[in-house]
Amino acid sequence: MDWLEEELTQALARKEPGPGFESRVRARLARRPQWLPIAAALLMLVGASEAWQQYRGYQAKEQVMAAMRIAGGKLNRVQAKISGGAQ
Amino acid sequence: MVPGGPGQIASNATVISLTAARQALDFDELMREHRAMVFSVLWHFLHDRDLAEELAQDVFLSLHKNMGAIDSPAHAGHWLRKVAVQRAIDAGRRRLRRPQVSLEEVREPFVRPPSADPMLGDMLRRLIATLPEGPRMAMVLRYQEDLDPAEIAETMGIPLGTVKSHIARSVAMLREKLERRGVGER
Repeated sequence: MDWLEEELTQALARKEPGPGFESRVRARLARRPQWLPIAAALLMLVGASEAWQQYRGYQAKEQVMAAMRIAGGKLNRVQAKISGGAQ
Repeated sequence: MVPGGPGQIASNATVISLTAARQALDFDELMREHRAMVFSVLWHFLHDRDLAEELAQDVFLSLHKNMGAIDSPAHAGHWLRKVAVQRAIDAGRRRLRRPQVSLEEVREPFVRPPSADPMLGDMLRRLIATLPEGPRMAMVLRYQEDLDPAEIAETMGIPLGTVKSHIARSVAMLREKLERRGVGER
């Protein structure tokens, strides 16, 4: 190793970060998980809202189908009476 | 595999030894052992102490998240060096303060030629900070981390020939600039 390489090794020797580095990393680690439960709760709320909307849609569809079945049955009876009277 | 046979016993022993190795990995201990390496890679590359400290913290947060994938202290050191190199390069690109220049275009520092070694060290760090991204990181890994060119190529993910060329040309450029100013004639 010549003089320049020796100087480079000294110039680029490892340096320590500022005092309290580990504490600062630990503090950031402690702060970070607070977002996880909030994000999870938000996701659950969105999911539950979506499921509730689907359930309401299904109920409305069922009610329309029931109304159509009732109306259809009545129409059939009226048609049967008209057909009987004509004969 | 026969239950209780030699194969299973060997397999259990491997599992136990791997588990023991993982348990032996203490995050705080890894931080103490590798903080100077991670911080220095970032600082020597970026020449910005605050940014280097912030990114060094990011590197250790990332290690904490990935502790499950780390098998041994040696693996942790290797992993940390690679992540620090990548973060440094990414930050350098984001910063875009300094346009990429070729080695021939690197300006000489405005400081007077140093007469004492501490000043020479400062001058060298400033000169290295003006190098383009690839040669700069290769020089940091060569002279800070004492890695050989093959290890540098693996860490940076570039061909071995490119690493050798980066180092040879950078050292020649530094030598020429220093000797032109009468530094290093020993």
